[in-house]
Amino acid sequence: MSRYAIVVNLNRCTGCYGCMIGCKNENGIALGENWNKVVQVGPTGTFPDIEQYFLPVMCQQCEDAPCVHVCPTGASYRDPDTNIVLVDKEKCIGCKYCMMACPYGVRAWNTAEACVEKCTLCQQLDEPYCVTNCAVGARFYGDLDDPDSDAAKAVAAADPADVHHLKNVGNNPATCYILSSKYATWKEDE
Amino acid sequence: MAIQWSLVLFTVLTGLGGWMLAAVAASEFTGKASRARFAGALVALVCAAVGGIASVAHLSHPERMMEALNHPTSGIFVEAVLVGLMGACVIVYLVLLARDASASARKAFAVLGAVFGVALSFMAGYSYIMAARPVWDTVLLPLGYLGTAAPSGIAAYLALACGMKAEPSRRAMTALGVAGIAGFVLGGAYLVFAGAFSAATLPAVVCLAGSGIAPIVCGFAAARAREEASGALAATALVCAVAGSVAYRCAMWMISVPVADYLGTVL
Repeated sequence: MSRYAIVVNLNRCTGCYGCMIGCKNENGIALGENWNKVVQVGPTGTFPDIEQYFLPVMCQQCEDAPCVHVCPTGASYRDPDTNIVLVDKEKCIGCKYCMMACPYGVRAWNTAEACVEKCTLCQQLDEPYCVTNCAVGARFYGDLDDPDSDAAKAVAAADPADVHHLKNVGNNPATCYILSSKYATWKEDE
Repeated sequence: MAIQWSLVLFTVLTGLGGWMLAAVAASEFTGKASRARFAGALVALVCAAVGGIASVAHLSHPERMMEALNHPTSGIFVEAVLVGLMGACVIVYLVLLARDASASARKAFAVLGAVFGVALSFMAGYSYIMAARPVWDTVLLPLGYLGTAAPSGIAAYLALACGMKAEPSRRAMTALGVAGIAGFVLGGAYLVFAGAFSAATLPAVVCLAGSGIAPIVCGFAAARAREEASGALAATALVCAVAGSVAYRCAMWMISVPVADYLGTVL
């Protein structure tokens, strides 16, 4: 079974917001709404020992996706071909249960269509536009179970101690973040 | 976090209706307050229906509700099915009452409807158990839903029966007191677990007073009082228990903190 996800190398991320803007442009996301957002973590510590990193967040493609479990209509579903978690907006009744159940708050409310949306990993393209648009090559996409994919190669090349996930509450997020402790200490487990 | 009033109304009214039907079913077995059964079952049905409509008001696309058939194990689907089954049982029960059908048939449908109604009062809270909300992620939450619904439904039936001078039994009044103990213990257990007394002090206190102390005092006092006083006590317990039930659900929304809210879209 494939595990398509994005890997973000935070050691390279400059916090330019290019992924966020590219996502909005490519997917026609309205002002005030996001599928992808760059969060500034820090600065923390005491001068001169201060650190900071930028954390781009989007749907984490959880292996045990709570949004799919709670959706009453099957609008939130796992694509049988790609195993990617998607939203069928034509089935969404707007109960917002998935937004409550998402541990990271990375589902968006489309005000105009009155339904839930989220990162689709740009199914209309060969790779997500945020990956293509990243100015510093910090984002990688592919099947984590395919050792030849860019995503799997990026993870394999990193020190295992530097590979992180957002806090796991039983949902097993697939998205990986690479952050070396020489730049900053990973804080999202706290 | 913002209180979702339509969902509060849904769970309060369906819980009240479910437990009111349980009181009607109990009266079928005790043989007391027979004159209040039809009105009691009818009010329970109306409460469930209004509660169901309130929950639909929460949706932005209710016209797509039939899509729920695609995922029949979700919490919302189970709740909808329980409302429907309870409503169907009540309608059959009302027809049986109107036609003066056999007692065993009446009992069967009253009990069946009550089982669905009581289960609904639990399931309405069970759907909120989710790892993304640590203070919701406990079975104490739905037990509190059940515990706070019980006194409201029983008090509603007793207030109605007293108002119709149907002479409900002393044991029914005692049952209200016992339901108050359940409301106090089950509601209080969750509120303590979730830290609601510091994060949502007013609703937590109103819950314990309304769903616990008031039904306990009114129920046990009504069991010893004259009938006129019993009616006033039951009505007082009803008002307090509904307030307590609403307060419990408001507290649940007010204290909810997600694991993370990166996009700032969490309800």
